[in-house]
Amino acid sequence: MLNRVTNLTMTANAQRTLQTQQSRLSELQEKATTLNKITRPSDDPAATAKALETRSLLAATEQYGRNIDDGNTWLTAADSALEQATNVMHRIQDLTVLAGNGSLNQSGKDAIALELEALNKDLVSIANSKHLGRNIFAGSSDAAAAFSSAAPPVFQGVDGSQVERRISATQTVRVDADGRGIFGSDTASVFHTVGEMARTLRAGGDITSQLAPLETSFKNIVNGRAEIGTRQAQLERAGDVNTELEATLDAQRTGIEKADLGSVIMDLKLQETNYQVALAATARVLQPTLMDFLR
Amino acid sequence: MSTFGALNTAYRGLTAAQQGMNVAGQNIANAATEGYTRQRVDQSSLAAPARGLFSGGALQAGQGVSVNAISRLGSSFLDAGVRSAGAQAGYASVRSSALQGIEGILQEPGDSGISNALHGFWSAWQGAANQPTESGPKGLLLNAANSVTGKISSAYQALDSQWSSVRGEAQGAVTAVNAAAAQVASYNTTIRSTLAAGGSANELIDARAKLTDQIAGLAGGTVREQPDGTVDVLVGGNALVTGGSVRTLQLAGATSLADAASDAPRVEWANPGGTAALDGGGLAGALSVLAPADKGGAIAQAAESYNTFAKELAKVVNDVHRTGQTSTGATNVNFFTTGAGPAALNISGPASIDNIALKASTGGALDTSIADKISQLGTGPNSPDKVWSGIVTNIGVQSRGAQQHESLTNAAQASALTGRASQASVSLDEESVSLLTNQHAYQAAARVMTAVDEALDVLINRTGLVGR
Repeated sequence: MLNRVTNLTMTANAQRTLQTQQSRLSELQEKATTLNKITRPSDDPAATAKALETRSLLAATEQYGRNIDDGNTWLTAADSALEQATNVMHRIQDLTVLAGNGSLNQSGKDAIALELEALNKDLVSIANSKHLGRNIFAGSSDAAAAFSSAAPPVFQGVDGSQVERRISATQTVRVDADGRGIFGSDTASVFHTVGEMARTLRAGGDITSQLAPLETSFKNIVNGRAEIGTRQAQLERAGDVNTELEATLDAQRTGIEKADLGSVIMDLKLQETNYQVALAATARVLQPTLMDFLR
Repeated sequence: MSTFGALNTAYRGLTAAQQGMNVAGQNIANAATEGYTRQRVDQSSLAAPARGLFSGGALQAGQGVSVNAISRLGSSFLDAGVRSAGAQAGYASVRSSALQGIEGILQEPGDSGISNALHGFWSAWQGAANQPTESGPKGLLLNAANSVTGKISSAYQALDSQWSSVRGEAQGAVTAVNAAAAQVASYNTTIRSTLAAGGSANELIDARAKLTDQIAGLAGGTVREQPDGTVDVLVGGNALVTGGSVRTLQLAGATSLADAASDAPRVEWANPGGTAALDGGGLAGALSVLAPADKGGAIAQAAESYNTFAKELAKVVNDVHRTGQTSTGATNVNFFTTGAGPAALNISGPASIDNIALKASTGGALDTSIADKISQLGTGPNSPDKVWSGIVTNIGVQSRGAQQHESLTNAAQASALTGRASQASVSLDEESVSLLTNQHAYQAAARVMTAVDEALDVLINRTGLVGR
């Protein structure tokens, strides 16, 4: 059958064409205003899955960033505590050298003993220092202080438990310091050694035999601080990597979800022209009938 | 031929031309009427009277024109094409809009979807792990858990109400089919009696065709034309309308999503009973969406996947959480509870921060290894995040397929409609030409009449007056 063309078929056709053009135009307009390539999963199911995955990684990375910042404050607190401890130990070492001087009389020794006791108290208070209300040297324990007030102080933390911060999906970093390893506990602690020195001096004795354990304690403190420094450097590197990863993921997400402005604008302009052409053609085709030419 | 035979011939021409102008007028008047089929005057020339015994040797002209009928230029073949395309388009359109509704409930990808809430939830565990002594981060964790569970259950409720609204649509469609069928039956009786009386039922047939189109779009009926002018409408091979009698359909089965699994919604015959199979149409589309999950019902499947997701989330988090110890020292505590009934509807987080276990049962009081472990549950290959992403992709793919099917059937429907309109619709140019032709024919017939009249005038009034 030959296709018979009537006014109705032409009007219906024109309406359909205009409707299609207009819906395409509105689609592109929405895309240009929101710049979203995917507004619903059916727009592109595969890209949606990728977008969800990227968003999930991005959210995790942001949290790792926060963890790294938090870990940094812990390590800084531990570092400054150990710096103070090192200073105190320097002074103690100076005093032991002074006390080793054979010409020192008893009142001089008493004075040194007095100062050693004061420094020992400082050391205990440093070992009990807190960060945001938590003991830096007591691991995951919730004890009021890392070391007891007994003489010599006893370590109250939980051995082998660490405060850790997650810095990536596979990595955690310890952000506290091992109180028992650095300061020792009870009779094996630096507090005991210094206390014993003061007692020996007060009794007029010789402290040469205690120099070796003091030296070991000092080394422990310095080593502890070095370890903190290493971990700080590690966190810093992780922070850099994390920031970079965040930027990459964000760029990736934008690539998946966001439309390219230039091409969208081009498409929109083209579609606008198409629509106008359709309108003009429709107006031209629909107007004339035989009536216009009959007299 | 008698003396006045020519006058009669001219008169017949006048009437035929007038009839032609009337029909052209009717066509033009209905040029924009939906469902109108153009009409034509069906006329034929009248032959000369048979030669009688005394008619002599003169040849005689015919006796003019006769108007036989006003015919309707429809094509039942094209009508059937429109109905079958309409049935498919109706089916695809209901499915597509239902799936787009399901997809809309997901709100993915975006900041208000479940995936975003999940990211917040995993991060909140690490936030709580960073400050185990504070209750603030734990409160945030509680909040994040409630946000996840709230989103799951509100999405499930949205699916539930979507199911009900689609069922309401199906109910409306059944009512519409019954009403249309009753009208078709009453048109059938009127058309039969009009035709039997020799009248023209063209406009009635147009109106009836519109109703059968509507039935096809809703329930996919086929139409069988009968010699007496009536039509039978068959749905799934059974007669919905036969002549003037009609059977009614009714919607049976579950009225809520929860009961759909055991009692799937279906269409049945009312008198006598029996299941009605549908050949397509919006009603069949709605039923396919309302079906239980194991029969491929889109809404029930989506609801089922929300349940699976809720159960999976609760399971993986609880499995780790139970190995931990809460701040009150309790162990073996579940984080999520799913309760009885649909897991997606009833999933909820702990009531207070005292029920959150951050620490392992070994280790110090401020240990946070459990919190860290749970925060990492989002990254594994079978993690809730992956399960969710799978659900979203699956629904997206289904919806995309349904939309493509819809645009395909829409194109087929548009082409069928164009085909029919091309045959049946009024062309103003054609009608103008027909109007002109008939106008001229009328004028010419009138002129014939005048000519005969003048000839007779001469014969009657002027003959035999020579020399008066």
